[in-house]
Amino acid sequence: MNMNSNNTRVENPKRGASHLLGVFSRKPWIWAFLAAGATYLATLVVVSTSAGAGSLLYAALTFASFSIIVGVGQMFVVTLGPGNVDLSIPATMTLAATLSLKFMASDPTMIVPGLLIAIGVGLACGLFNFALIMLLRIPPIIATLSASFLFQSLAIWSNRGLRIKPPASLADFATGGTFGLPNAAWVALLVSVLAWCVLEKTIAGRWISASGQNTRAARLGGVPVNAVRFGVYVGCAVLAGLAGFVLASFSGGANLNMGTEYMLMSIAVVVIGGSSIAGGNSNVPGIWGAALFMFLIVSMLNSYGLGAGVRLMLTGLIIVSVVVLASKRGRKV
Amino acid sequence: MNFKSMLLGAIAGTVVLVSGQAMADTSGKTIALSNNYAGNSWRQAMLESWGKVAYQAVQDGVVAGADAFTTSENQATEQAAQIQNMILQGYDAIVLNAASPTAINGAVKEACDAGIIVVSFDGIVTEPCAWRIAVDFKQMGRDQVKYLEQRYPDGGNLLEIRGLAGVFVDDEISAGIHEQVESTKFDIVGSVHGDWAQDVAQKAVAGILPSLPEVKAIVTQGGDGYGAAQAFEAAGRPTPTIIMGNRRDELQWWKEQKDANGYETTSLSIAPGVSTLGFWVAQQILDGKEVPKDLTVPFLRVDQDTLEEILAETPVGSVANVEYALEDAQKLIQSAK
Repeated sequence: MNMNSNNTRVENPKRGASHLLGVFSRKPWIWAFLAAGATYLATLVVVSTSAGAGSLLYAALTFASFSIIVGVGQMFVVTLGPGNVDLSIPATMTLAATLSLKFMASDPTMIVPGLLIAIGVGLACGLFNFALIMLLRIPPIIATLSASFLFQSLAIWSNRGLRIKPPASLADFATGGTFGLPNAAWVALLVSVLAWCVLEKTIAGRWISASGQNTRAARLGGVPVNAVRFGVYVGCAVLAGLAGFVLASFSGGANLNMGTEYMLMSIAVVVIGGSSIAGGNSNVPGIWGAALFMFLIVSMLNSYGLGAGVRLMLTGLIIVSVVVLASKRGRKV
Repeated sequence: MNFKSMLLGAIAGTVVLVSGQAMADTSGKTIALSNNYAGNSWRQAMLESWGKVAYQAVQDGVVAGADAFTTSENQATEQAAQIQNMILQGYDAIVLNAASPTAINGAVKEACDAGIIVVSFDGIVTEPCAWRIAVDFKQMGRDQVKYLEQRYPDGGNLLEIRGLAGVFVDDEISAGIHEQVESTKFDIVGSVHGDWAQDVAQKAVAGILPSLPEVKAIVTQGGDGYGAAQAFEAAGRPTPTIIMGNRRDELQWWKEQKDANGYETTSLSIAPGVSTLGFWVAQQILDGKEVPKDLTVPFLRVDQDTLEEILAETPVGSVANVEYALEDAQKLIQSAK
C-alpha cells in the first residue's frame, strides 16, 4: 500500500502533489500547526538568543496546557452538535480551584484529597449542568451560562476572593518540568491521549460522533444518546475542574477571575483546531496546534511592540483566516 | 502665605467644631451603596470595609441605615435599574462605584432630581449633580517612574505591564508612565496587557520575555507584580525592580526577597476601604456640609520600612487596606476647598 503510493508519486509528480494536498485536506488540524509554526518563526526574528527561542517554546507549551485541558472537554461538548457548548467552564475552574486550595490550606499532605475535591467539584458541576439540560429541558447555552453564575457565586461565597497558596510541593510540580517538557504539558498530554483513545478507539467515541452528526438517526440506530450527553457534559466539567486545579497550583493560588479568558479560549482552540463547530466531527491534535498558536500570536504581536488596538485586530484577522482555511480545505474533499 | 495657612486652619477648626454639634442631624438618614462588580479580591475587601464601617455607624446612631447592593453582572443597564429601585426605596444618599462614567448618568440625574445625594468613587460618573471621589490614575503612573528615577538615575530598560485594553483606567495610568518617562533616561522596551490579574500577567510576560534585552524595572498597574516575578523566575532571568500593587502575595514575595537578598521596591494602590470614604463624604453632605464636587482619593503606599507592618495587617490572599474615619473625610474635604 505504502509502496504503491510511493510509486505513483515518482511516476507522476503532479498527482503526487495533489495526493499530498489530499492528505493535508483530510487533516484539518494541520492548519493550526502550520499557523503556530509560522507565528513561532516570526517571533524568532526579534528573539536574539537561542536560549530565548527555547524558553519561548517552553513558555508556549506551559500556558497552552491549560487551554488544551479545557479545550478537550469543550471539544466533546461541541461534537454533540449545534447548540451544544459549555459556558460554565470558567466558573467551574474557579470553583474547583477555590474549594480545593482552601481545603488543602497549603498543607502538602492534603494534595491527593485536594485533587479529588477539584475533580469532585467538576463532577458535581457537570451533573448540575446535565440536570438543567435534560430534566428541565433548558437549551445548553442558557443552562450552562446560568449555572456558571451559581458556581461563581459559590466560589465568591466560599472564600471571599482570598488567595490561598498551594502546598509548596504542588506548586513546584506545577511550575516545574520533566524530561525537558513542563509538567503541565505532561498532564495535558495524558488528557489528550486518553481523549483521543476514547474518541477514535472506543464505541463511546463513535456514539459521540454519531449523536453529533444526526441525533435522531443515532437514537434510532440504538445509540444511548442521553447517556452520551451525560458523559460528555460531566467529563467536560471534570476537565475544567482539573484545569482549574493545575492553573491555581501553577499561578500561586485561585483567583475569582482566573477562568475568565478560558470561556472564549476553550471554544477558539476547538474551532481553530479544525473540529466542526456544527458537531459530529472532532480531532484532538488540532487543539494542541491551536492552543500553541493562541499563545504564540499574542507573544509575537507583543514582541513586535504593536499597540493594543492593532494587536487585537490582527489576532482577530489571523484567527478568522486560519478557521476559513481549515474549513475550506475540509469541505473540498 | 503664613497668614493664609493660619486662616485656613482657623476655618478648618470652625468646621470641625460645627460638625461636632450637627452630628446627630443624620441619625434618621439612610445611605445605600450601589456596586457594579464583586468578582475580585479588591472588590470583596471594598464590600467588607463598607460593611464594617457602616455597621458601626448604624450602631452608633450616626445614620439609620447603610445597605450595600451589588449587581450580578458588570453592566450599566443593570446598575441604572438598581439606582432607580433605590430612588423608589427612598434612600437619602447613594454611594456608588459605577460600571461606566457616562452610561448611568440618566439614572443618577433622576436620583438627584428626587433630592437624593449621589457620591461616586473609584468608578466615577460625569453627571454634574453627583460628587466624585476620583483616583488620579495619571499620578499613579508618574509616581512609579519618579521612584525608579531615584533608584536608577542613569536609567535603563523598562517593561510595562498594562491593565485591560480599552479601559479608561489603563489608558490613564499608562499615559502617566509615558509622560514621566519622557523626562528620564528610561526606555520602555516592551509592553503587555496583564488584565490586572496575576495569571494573565504571568502568561503575557513569559511570552514577551525571550525577545527582551536586560530589564531594569517593571512598571505595573496593580495585581500583576507577583505574576511578573514568577515569569522572570521561570525563565531564569535576574529579577528586575518590580513596582507592586499592594496585593498580599506581592507583599509576601517582596518580604521574602527582602530577607533573602535585600530586594528593594515600592508598592502603591488605592485602598479598597475608599468605599468608607464615600460613606463619610455622603454623611457629611447629608449633614449639610459644603463639600466640593471633585475630591481625590489618597494613595496607600507601602515602602521598604512599612512593609512588615502593613504585611502583618493584610489578611492572607487579600489586599492592603485602610478603613477611613469621619476625620479622614473631613480632612479630604478641607484639602479640596
